[in-house]
Amino acid sequence: MTAYLDRLETIQSTIKAAAARGRRCQIVGGGSKPWLAHASAAGSTEAEVLATKALSGVVEYEPTELVIVVRGGTPVGEIERVMREAGQMLAFEPPTADGRATIGGTLASAASGPRRAYAGAVRDFVLGIELIDGKGDRLRFGGKVMKNVAGFDLSRLVCGSAGTLGVITEVALKCLPLPKATETRVYELDAAAALRAMNRWYAEADPISATTWVDGRLYVRFAGAEPAVRAARERRGGELLADADRWWADWREQRHPFFALPEQLMRMSCRATVESLEGFNQAIEWGGALRWLHAATEEDRARVRYWTHRAKGYATRWHAPFVETLNELSPEVRALTARLKAQFDPYGVFPAVVSS
Amino acid sequence: MMETFTRPDGQTVARTVGELRECFGARVVTTQAVREQHAHGEGMQDAAVPDVVVFPESNEEVAAVLRLANAARIPVIPFGTGTSLEGHLQALYGGISLDLSRMTKILELNTEDLDCRVQAGVTREQLNAEIRSTGLFFPIDPGANASLGGMAATRASGTNAVRYGTMRDNVLGLTVVTPEGRVIRTGTRARKSSAGYDLTRLYVGSEGTLGVITEIQLRLYGMPERVSAAVCPFDTLEGAVESVITAMQMGIPLARIELLDAMQMRASIKYSKLTGFAEKPTLFLEFHGTDLAVGEQIEQMRAITAEHGGSDYRFADRPEDRSRLWKARHDAYWAGLNYIPGKHAFSTDACVPISRLAECIAAARAEVEASGLFCTIVGHVGDGNFHVLVTFDPNVREERKLADRVAARISEIAIGLGGTCTGEHGIGIHKLDALKQEHGEAVEVMRAIKHALDPNDIMNPGKTVPLG
Repeated sequence: MTAYLDRLETIQSTIKAAAARGRRCQIVGGGSKPWLAHASAAGSTEAEVLATKALSGVVEYEPTELVIVVRGGTPVGEIERVMREAGQMLAFEPPTADGRATIGGTLASAASGPRRAYAGAVRDFVLGIELIDGKGDRLRFGGKVMKNVAGFDLSRLVCGSAGTLGVITEVALKCLPLPKATETRVYELDAAAALRAMNRWYAEADPISATTWVDGRLYVRFAGAEPAVRAARERRGGELLADADRWWADWREQRHPFFALPEQLMRMSCRATVESLEGFNQAIEWGGALRWLHAATEEDRARVRYWTHRAKGYATRWHAPFVETLNELSPEVRALTARLKAQFDPYGVFPAVVSS
Repeated sequence: MMETFTRPDGQTVARTVGELRECFGARVVTTQAVREQHAHGEGMQDAAVPDVVVFPESNEEVAAVLRLANAARIPVIPFGTGTSLEGHLQALYGGISLDLSRMTKILELNTEDLDCRVQAGVTREQLNAEIRSTGLFFPIDPGANASLGGMAATRASGTNAVRYGTMRDNVLGLTVVTPEGRVIRTGTRARKSSAGYDLTRLYVGSEGTLGVITEIQLRLYGMPERVSAAVCPFDTLEGAVESVITAMQMGIPLARIELLDAMQMRASIKYSKLTGFAEKPTLFLEFHGTDLAVGEQIEQMRAITAEHGGSDYRFADRPEDRSRLWKARHDAYWAGLNYIPGKHAFSTDACVPISRLAECIAAARAEVEASGLFCTIVGHVGDGNFHVLVTFDPNVREERKLADRVAARISEIAIGLGGTCTGEHGIGIHKLDALKQEHGEAVEVMRAIKHALDPNDIMNPGKTVPLG
């Protein structure tokens, strides 16, 4: 406890000193998503490193409450292990990066996994956070109850803010029970047919917890009560996937061969029913709402952007720094983003949200 | 940091009303009756009358009003159906009540994508009536037939929150008009977009203090194959709460689980003319799903409640029986209010960790007994959220004081148990003190954000975050 408080105080004083001297700070968790680091800060030799690794541990876990409170630097894999023993899970299924990913980094990067389309995103499970802002102040937003409408919803504003607003030191998360039964079935389908199946089966209330189409095959993970999973199997047929847990873990951690060249990938978010873009090596997940496209050249990327724009979707280079992803926003929203950032970080200690 | 807001002078107001008239003609109203109607929500009857009521019909008209108001430093209070509960609508410093009730278009209905886009004045019942033929529905149901703009602005929830979430989880994107009169869109049709800060969730629940929500992109759900409602009385309130805790642990996807305490049952039996019900703590339940799933859920639930002293189930499968049951639940407020004629009432809104719920309700009950006021209790048990309906005689000053004290104590007790003073009604003006107790220094950041997004403090000043 004392070591923890010491560490918090060190982070606070480092930030305060940086603010006073006009220096920058770079928050580093498990280092599993290095591309998020902003060029502006990462390239600067003056950036002070704020390591959150020492801020690790479960603060409070009452399985009957369906709530877990953990420190910001706790590895996601560790949290999942503790929860699994109690028959519960982080329903947004974030990547663990072989034990490196921290819960703070997971929030900051809004990282969700295969179950996201069916259970919700990381921000949907965040009940409250503690944050050290750019003035070095410790602030608490939200709480640890299921519903809280006391003031602005700032714990969710921090989700996906990529370390530009502050250091996440504590998180209260909603837990869900593990499903009683799980089974993955595989279907040989082209992209168009796979999209139709994903959308129709979901609308028809099949107990689906993940869908992925890759290499001409649709993988559907059914999960829920035993009779419901059995009924889905009888209704939808398909071939049983042996070793499904490993397959989904590989997919979630991007160890699947499809992700071999991540710097060439574009990540496209769109309505689930948008038709598939032909002529690209692609994978589809989240029921059609997330598409991964191999786009090696600037010409390819331009085509993806154009087509995404027409589909009213949103596409960025996977591994693009946060500040680049903001270019997708309208000028008005970018201006609001900068105004909000300045309230948390008036001295510009954390990475900027406008390209320099 | 900021100075306290001052009421604009009469001349400025008169000039602005004149300018508004040029643009909006008869849709600018200054009659006493209409202004009084826009001076309060439900709950406490305290009123503060706006100077003028304007009825815009488009984003551009809303933007025009805000530009005028911002230039003249006149407050703007967005108004939906006037059903908020925490004094959100009182024009503390006069100004413009911006009534969005003419913005009632459903702009898009995407049945395959399970979403829609509506104007802020569309009410939840209007939306559900208009989409019924598609087999879809929108589940969030606060007691009132509120506007969806108002529901987004207050981050409303209702009896379905355990299964379907609250407005926070069901708003996919917004059109917001900023105090400077700029029309911005947050979120996209792409549901899983994660570009930039989550502005959608910043505006959802901002209670009209950051801008005016004019359009809402909402998530819709397929109507379940089978819906079954049930009522189960318990000997003790603890038994009812324990049953719900166990059900949540097991992951039984209950659609609704509502608790009415013995006193509320007494009031509801009288008001809603319920026959064959006992004056005991009672759970109202609803199960949604396939025929198979609902059957299984009911079986599991019966086994759980039997262990906690609840076995006398009554089921309602026919739609008309179900609606009668849920109407009685939604009318709980009126039942409590009318139990003793001539009383006024307001509702508290504490939310605590579910394991502390029975304890918190007992402590609230003790405060109530000590005050001698007639109070009933209803709870969204699955969320740990409960409402004490505190009734008082408006003509007896002492009673109103007692009622306020009971409410403040319940907020304190909830915060002390690791909970919040408000699970779904919001801060408005009534809970500003409790917000400070609950959030401490974070309130300063909220205030800074309010100031950054609304530098002249024209948006619903004095609500949600303390001024000055």
